[in-house]
Amino acid sequence: MDLDAVKARAGPREFSPADDLPREYREAATRMIEFHANSEIMGAYLERPFIRQAPSIDRKLAFSAKVQDEIGHAQLLYRAAESLGVKSRDEMIDDLANGDGKFLNCFHYPLKSWVEIPMISFFVDGAAMRRQATLRRTSWEPYAHAMDKVCFEEGFHVKHGEDILRELMTGSRAEQRRTQEAFEEWWPRIIQFFGPTDDKSTHHDFAASVGLKQQSNDELRDAFLDQYIPKARKYGLEIPDEPRIREREDGTYAVEENDLDWDEFFTIAKNDYEPGLGQINGRKRAQEAVQWVRDTIEDDATAAGGTAPQAAD
Amino acid sequence: MAALDPGKLDARERNALETLLKRLADDEFVLAERYTEWQVRAPTLESDLALANNAQDELGHARLWYDVLEDLGFEEQALIYERDPADFRHATLVERPFEEGDWADAVLRSYLYDAAEKLRLEALEDSAYPKIADRVGKIRSEEEYHLEHAQNWVERLADGDEGHERLQDALDRLFPYALTLFEPVDPDVEDDIVELGLRDATLEELGEEWLSIVVPSLESLDLEPPVSAQVDDDTFEITEDMLPEERGRDGGHTDAWFDLHDELTHTYRDLGRSETTKIMDKPE
Amino acid sequence: MIWEVFRQEKAGNYHTHCGNVHAPDREMATQFAAIQHGRRKPTNSLWVVPKEEIGEIDTEDVAFGGTTDKSYRWATAYNTSGKDAREVVESEDEQATAERQRGDD
Repeated sequence: MDLDAVKARAGPREFSPADDLPREYREAATRMIEFHANSEIMGAYLERPFIRQAPSIDRKLAFSAKVQDEIGHAQLLYRAAESLGVKSRDEMIDDLANGDGKFLNCFHYPLKSWVEIPMISFFVDGAAMRRQATLRRTSWEPYAHAMDKVCFEEGFHVKHGEDILRELMTGSRAEQRRTQEAFEEWWPRIIQFFGPTDDKSTHHDFAASVGLKQQSNDELRDAFLDQYIPKARKYGLEIPDEPRIREREDGTYAVEENDLDWDEFFTIAKNDYEPGLGQINGRKRAQEAVQWVRDTIEDDATAAGGTAPQAAD
Repeated sequence: MAALDPGKLDARERNALETLLKRLADDEFVLAERYTEWQVRAPTLESDLALANNAQDELGHARLWYDVLEDLGFEEQALIYERDPADFRHATLVERPFEEGDWADAVLRSYLYDAAEKLRLEALEDSAYPKIADRVGKIRSEEEYHLEHAQNWVERLADGDEGHERLQDALDRLFPYALTLFEPVDPDVEDDIVELGLRDATLEELGEEWLSIVVPSLESLDLEPPVSAQVDDDTFEITEDMLPEERGRDGGHTDAWFDLHDELTHTYRDLGRSETTKIMDKPE
Repeated sequence: MIWEVFRQEKAGNYHTHCGNVHAPDREMATQFAAIQHGRRKPTNSLWVVPKEEIGEIDTEDVAFGGTTDKSYRWATAYNTSGKDAREVVESEDEQATAERQRGDD
């Protein structure tokens, strides 16, 4: 199949491993899904210490289950990416450890205290959940299938995060104040989750034209703000003054892009940002420390689904 | 043996019950806590999920046992977040830290613990305290998976040179602590536990049976315990000199435990909490 | 190795493909599959099959059901009079649905 045919046919779940797809499609899809899988792992890595710190048994159970789900999602996603025949799961995992694998901006920042948990577990997960719901209509079928399972599981993550927020914001004055502070720190990062506006995003056009991406960065951000600004207010959080957000006549939101730190964002996107590097290296050490186990149980390296990368048309 | 009535316990009965339950609950809780350290750090994504599953199972068991302690007037926050760490009654086996990457320790520890737990649960299934007998059934089927999982891993690792070496190291380190699983909190109270029918085997009996299973099983994989507990072909015995200084059961713990307790109570203290959040309904 | 996983929800149902796991052998594959694919959705049984063992044949290889008229295979081709037994009606309805889904009618 050539690229024009791909664009003509592009639609939900249209392409599967049975199809002979051009290299450009397969590379774009791999990049997108790999980013997603990496983000699941780095998010889980960031949250894991809070399983231990959870202030009750039930919270601890929920946290462990959430982190477990995220690793499960990574497994599904690497498989969906691997099935494109460009990179194997092992290669993607190695790249992540080496600092070559890219992942969500939010997970380059440290999580220092329980009051920050809702920022990730409610707001970021909420944003991710919306995006994942739209990706159930992505053109790469294995990715869409992975999204079915992810969406099925993820509902509890968002509600768990919301419950923690509710508890903090109805707690002591100190808890409320500290949560508000955490919210102010994280809010710009959460907005940047959606990436730059469409006209500044490098990959968007192609991904949309071949049906990989279903909604634009702007559309997703609008949907998020629409849903989560009222939620934040409902729990007593004050939306920070910056970045300036203005509601348009048609109900969509305009974010003053220049109020956000895009230098930081693009530094992060290159894996050059300090706390993020610390996380990457921490994970790398953990990975290397158990290499001996993988060597022991596997005779040969895990095959990349048995399919060799296909030549471009 | 007459069933004990939660509403009509005398001091001796209360003490026996409290001791037994704290051993059970604290063991499972601390074990689970250590297991969670492996989340996002296990050798493969699949093994990560499997261990996380076991962690949640064990924590769920702890939750059931702490809940029975409510019959005696204890609440979760008092039992975990506000209790003096020296009052915890878990075996020191489960509090030992992991070195980075020491998956051999994780699976061997799991094997040693799960093999003991199987015997303990069998001895509890006809407990005179109805709630204990009721909950054992649910717990046993989850534990079956844990034991199989651990055995599977130990066998695989023992097959390779490096795996074998690391398992032997882990065994050398963990074995003395594992023996504390069978140490008493207080010998008189232990007698009461059996006399009252709360558990139908003594700690000595459990320990000897455990040894008669795990020692040959490990030896078949060329793994030798650091001390011989074997008296003759059929008899095993734990003696004083085999045990470590810190036995957990009597409140003596290693430094690692105090660090761990500090970490796990951090948020609770930092936020000045006085209650623990429940998400699920009270167990039946 | 990759193992494809099939789940049977309740006893008596068919096993349906639900994903896969990486594992070095069948024993680990079943243990992992139990957690990865059986921890939430109702599961009575799971099968694991090495991916390479799965053979596939698709519309590029064969025209499923043939291309020449085979309507003699379908109850719908037959006109009879009088009321049919319930099970005959059910069968005809199922076949009619299948025909529609194939795009044959």
